[in-house]
Parts: sequence; C-alpha cells; structure tokens
Amino acid sequence: MELKKKLEILSAAAKYDVSCSSSGSTRKNKKGGIGNSHLSGICHSWSDDGRCISLLKILFTNNCIYDCAYCVNRASNDIPRATFTPEEVVSLTINFYRRNYIEGLFLSSAVFKNPDYTMELLLKTVKSLRTVYNFNGYIHLKAIPGADYRLISEAGTYVDRMSVNIELPSSNGLKLLAPQKNKESILKPMGFISTKIKENKDEKKIYRKPTTFVPAGQSTQLIVGATADSDLNILRLSENLYKRFNLKRVYYSAYVPVSDSPNLPAISSPPLLREHRIYQADWLLRFYGFSANEILDETNQNLDTQLDPKCDWALRNIHLFPIEINRADYETLLKVPGIGIKSAKRIISARRIGPINYDTLKKIGVVLKRARYFITCQGKFYGERSMNQEKIKQSILFNNFKDNTFTYNQEQLSMFSLYPNLFNKEESLSVIVGEF
Amino acid sequence: MIYYIYDGSFEGLLTSIYDSFYRREYPDKIVSDDNFQPNLLIEAVHIKTDSEKASKVYNSIKNKISSSALENIFYVFLSEVENNEKIIYNYLRLGWKLENKIDLYLSDDRVLTVHKIVRRVKNERHRMLGLIRFRYLDKNTYYAPIEPQYNIIGLVAPHFTKRLSDQNWIIHDVNRKIAAVYDKREWYITDFKLNRELKYSDEEIFFQDLWKQYFNSIAIKNRINPRLQKRNMPMKYWKYLIEKS
Repeated sequence: MELKKKLEILSAAAKYDVSCSSSGSTRKNKKGGIGNSHLSGICHSWSDDGRCISLLKILFTNNCIYDCAYCVNRASNDIPRATFTPEEVVSLTINFYRRNYIEGLFLSSAVFKNPDYTMELLLKTVKSLRTVYNFNGYIHLKAIPGADYRLISEAGTYVDRMSVNIELPSSNGLKLLAPQKNKESILKPMGFISTKIKENKDEKKIYRKPTTFVPAGQSTQLIVGATADSDLNILRLSENLYKRFNLKRVYYSAYVPVSDSPNLPAISSPPLLREHRIYQADWLLRFYGFSANEILDETNQNLDTQLDPKCDWALRNIHLFPIEINRADYETLLKVPGIGIKSAKRIISARRIGPINYDTLKKIGVVLKRARYFITCQGKFYGERSMNQEKIKQSILFNNFKDNTFTYNQEQLSMFSLYPNLFNKEESLSVIVGEF
Repeated sequence: MIYYIYDGSFEGLLTSIYDSFYRREYPDKIVSDDNFQPNLLIEAVHIKTDSEKASKVYNSIKNKISSSALENIFYVFLSEVENNEKIIYNYLRLGWKLENKIDLYLSDDRVLTVHKIVRRVKNERHRMLGLIRFRYLDKNTYYAPIEPQYNIIGLVAPHFTKRLSDQNWIIHDVNRKIAAVYDKREWYITDFKLNRELKYSDEEIFFQDLWKQYFNSIAIKNRINPRLQKRNMPMKYWKYLIEKS
C-alpha cells in the first residue's frame, strides 16, 4: 500500500485520541542530533475542527483484536485496514520535523495479534528514532494494556509522555461497551508507570546521570456521553487519578457517534458543550484549589450547561461573597468568577503599590461582567443588584447573551436538553451508574 | 514642537534618550528618519547614533531599573507600532523614578501600554515557533518565508538554532526584506530578497502532499469549527502555511 494511503487511514483512525500536548519535557538536543522539546509545548497548526496539531498523531496499525462498541477501529467494523512499518513512521516523523510541521510523534496503536507483539513494534519504532536517528523531539507513546511490563518499562526510557486510556468512566460502562477490557487491566499499567516515574525521580537525587523515565508524565483519556455516568462521577474519578497516580492530564472526548450498536446512545452530534464544561471543571480541580465534591454534590450531579462551573459554584455559595479585592488572599481571589490565575497574580502584585480601584481591575484583565457581583473594591459594591442568587444568575446570563458569547452554543443547548430523553429509551443503559 | 530624528536603530533610540536628558529637553516625538516628514512647525533635532551614549543608557536601565524593563522596551522597539519610541521614552522616565518597582504599577497607563505591546509581541513570537514552515531546497538547506506583524525574526531564530542545528536554514521576513540565516555554526540577520521563484524537488512536493493529507484526515468531521480554528490561527498567517495555501 502507498504511504499516503496508509497515512490517511491511520491518522483518521487516531483522530479520536484527544491528547495532543507537547509540554512538560525539557529534553535537549545532542550534538549532531535533531530536535529538542519546549517546556510549554508548541502548537503547529489547527485543524478544521479547531483542535491544535502539535504532534504527528497516528496509529501504528488499526487491525484490532478487540471489539469495543464505541470505537471506530473495532474488529467487526468494515473499514480499510493498514499497518505501518517502523521505518515509515521514523521517516515521516523526521521529515515532518525538519520542516517544522510538528513538535514530535504521538504513537498509538490498535492491538494487533496480541498486546506484547504490538508493544514490541511500538518500542522498536521509538528506540530507532532515539538511538539510530538521534531524534530528541517530543514523543508521546500509548502503553498497550496487557503488555509485558519489561516492554513498557524499556519504552518509558525513550519517550517523554506515556498514557493508558481509561476509555469509560465506570466499570459497568466497560462491561457493556468493551467486554474484553476491564478496570484492572487499565489501572494496573497506569499504576506501574506512576511508580516507575516516582522511582526515577528518587534516583535522580542520587545519581548524576540517571536515565530518564517518562519525564513529561502520564496522561489518560475518557469518553464523555457514551454511558450514563454523571459529571460528578467523572470529576471524582479524575480527582482520584490526579491524586493517586499523579497524572498530568485527564482528557475528555465527547462521544462521536461511530457505530449503531444498541448499547450506545443514538445521538446526531457529539455533546461538545458538556465536554467543554467538564474541561472547565477539570481546570478548577487542577489550578484553582477546588475539589470534586465542592463543584458538584449529590443534589446537583451534573454541571450547569448555561453557566460555567465556577460561576455556578459561587452562586450556590453566595454567602461567602462579596469579598474585598484589596484584602483577600490569593486562594480566595481565585475562587471569584471572572478572576483567573493571571489576573489574581496581577492583583496581588499591584496591591503592593497601593489600593486597587475598580478602573484598575478592568485594566488588569478581570472579567468584570462576572466578577462585579462577587467583589467589593475599596469597600464599594459595583454589582447593581442585591446578593440574590437568582437575580445575579439572570444578569450574568443576559450579559452572555448580549455579547454573543454563547451564540454558537444555542443549538447545542437544545440538542443537549434532548439528550437525557434519548438515554432513557435504552433500557440496557439504565444499569450503568457507576463508581469507578 | 521638538522632534528627535534618529537612524531607526535601537542604539539610535537609546542615544536620543541620552541626549534628551543631557539637553534637558522633552521631545514631542521621536521618529526614525524614514518616517520623518518635515514641516514648518517642527524643530527637528538630528540625533547622531553614538554607541558609547547608547551603552550608558543601556547599563543604566539594567542597573537602575531592571533587566526585565530592558527586555520590555526591546520588545516594544521590535513591535514597530506607531509612536513606539515615545512609549518607550515615557516608560523609562517613569522607570528612573520608580526603579525596579515599575512593573508593579499596573494602574499606570505608561506601564500598561508597554505590557500590552510586550504581550502581543511575545504571543506572535510563540505562535511563529509553530507556524513557520520550512521547504527543502537543496544541499541540506531549508527555506521558510513568513510575514509577521512585528519584527520577531531575531526572536525566533535562537529557538531553531538549537532545534534544527544540523541543517542550514533561512527564515525570510518577506515584508521587511530581511532574513535570519543559519549555517550550522551561527546565525545572523541580513538583507534578503528572492530574485526568482523557487522550484521544489519531487521529494519536497511528496512530503508537502503527505502533510496536507494528514491535516485533512486528522479533523473530526462532526466537530468542524472554523471560528475556533481562525481564532487560534488567524488568517493573516495562512499565506505561507503548506496545509492552508
């Protein structure tokens, strides 16, 4: 088969993997070598769906022995199949890299023959890139669940980031949609990698030139909207993954209808708004000091689609507000809707000079159309409204509507309200409520 | 009205600042000689670039204000936005008063304007690190034309000397007619013009074709979102992108 055809098939097969970041590694170029990595990562292009292209994201092969209902590469699906050779992947990577098309390689694979055989092929490819071609750019490799730990551990010494996909947020979901996989087979390699990363960090304190092991950390991905799991369950799962396995990122991908299996919800377009809200909540977990149980609780199990999670949280906890901008500490500032990491830091540094007034806040970059209902500035409240939860919510929503911030979401909202109804039609799905 | 006319170089600008303090004068405008249009109301003072004066100002900024202030004014200089000389001048005057605390005065417009411009230049620089596309010419030489809004060519070159250290490359700022050239040992900026259209080898066309293929097949058709794409990758940069031209 022609290389172009293979690339077409195997990049299209990899497109549902969301992770594309190239950050977190400080690998340097060697003499006579090619490439290095950039700590913050670099995006090289943006595809027509608006997602960034940073790495050459391909599957090694889309020949799969598994038959997972949600996956486009499932064994029973009638699609063209292809397999690269390690040399082809290496040549594509090097030639794209020299032209600055990409930041590195993201290599994943369907499970071909058996997990060990697949992992060996992946290992051979990355090893040849690093040792034969002296390539020092970014490599993100998928660890194949079920592969021998020796293979995973050797591959880890060559790559920057590794990931194992969780796929579905609950074990019941797995049982229904991916009967050949189970929770243990996914979590075990994840735990193995995270222990190895920790060991390697300790070694670095002792030896002068230790080998690196997955320096940019581990990530994972799960599909949103293919099962009936609530947002609260998803966030709790993510929180645990961040805490227990020290994951760098959990990626969420809105379920794109790729199959008409009776076990899957029949939707016409992916739940993008829900995905967006979960990402916002994920940021709150990682950078804003929130916990999953703060963002949502048993009575509110799903994120509000109209308001962002922080706004929603603040409205439910209106008794904590308003706070005084000139006195609140950094952690409190971060919890105000409309104040992000950057503006919180700017507020702290501008305060060292003198008190901040309302005008300065605007200049600093605080989003006042949300923030003003929750703050006072030198003792004065600028919210025009009393501290009434409903009234504030209405004004914020009205502002969003006025600015056209959410126009493109309008139709998605209507689609989204249909979504729970669709679920109820599927009897088999009612069993999937899950704790992971 | 007093106008200072300088030669358009960074050293020239620093010399103007030195002279303004020495002459105890407050210029209404500082302009480079290619942007200067004389008229009757203007008293033009021609500044002769003097590297000794320039380095005095340079060191004074570094020692008396801060090295980040020095970095900031260099970014503003490279931004080539209208009246950037005066923006720098005002910022520095304030800087010598407030010393290393200057960048905390976020409520002051003189500081805020500088920070805004610096952010825009840094953003474009970072974006360019990804959007530059090299084309293979011959003899291990790669060529990349770009049309950035700000004069960032010297800011992106060091990144590529580290990354693509084993190939010769040229990054060509087409509008400013300059290029950063690297010959596997060192890089320099030079005047540059293409005299004829380039012809690419079959191999180059082959990889361009593969890249376009990849670009198209990686997009998820159910999620097409041109607005998001354009926000991240403004159309002004599309001209030299292989995948978009």
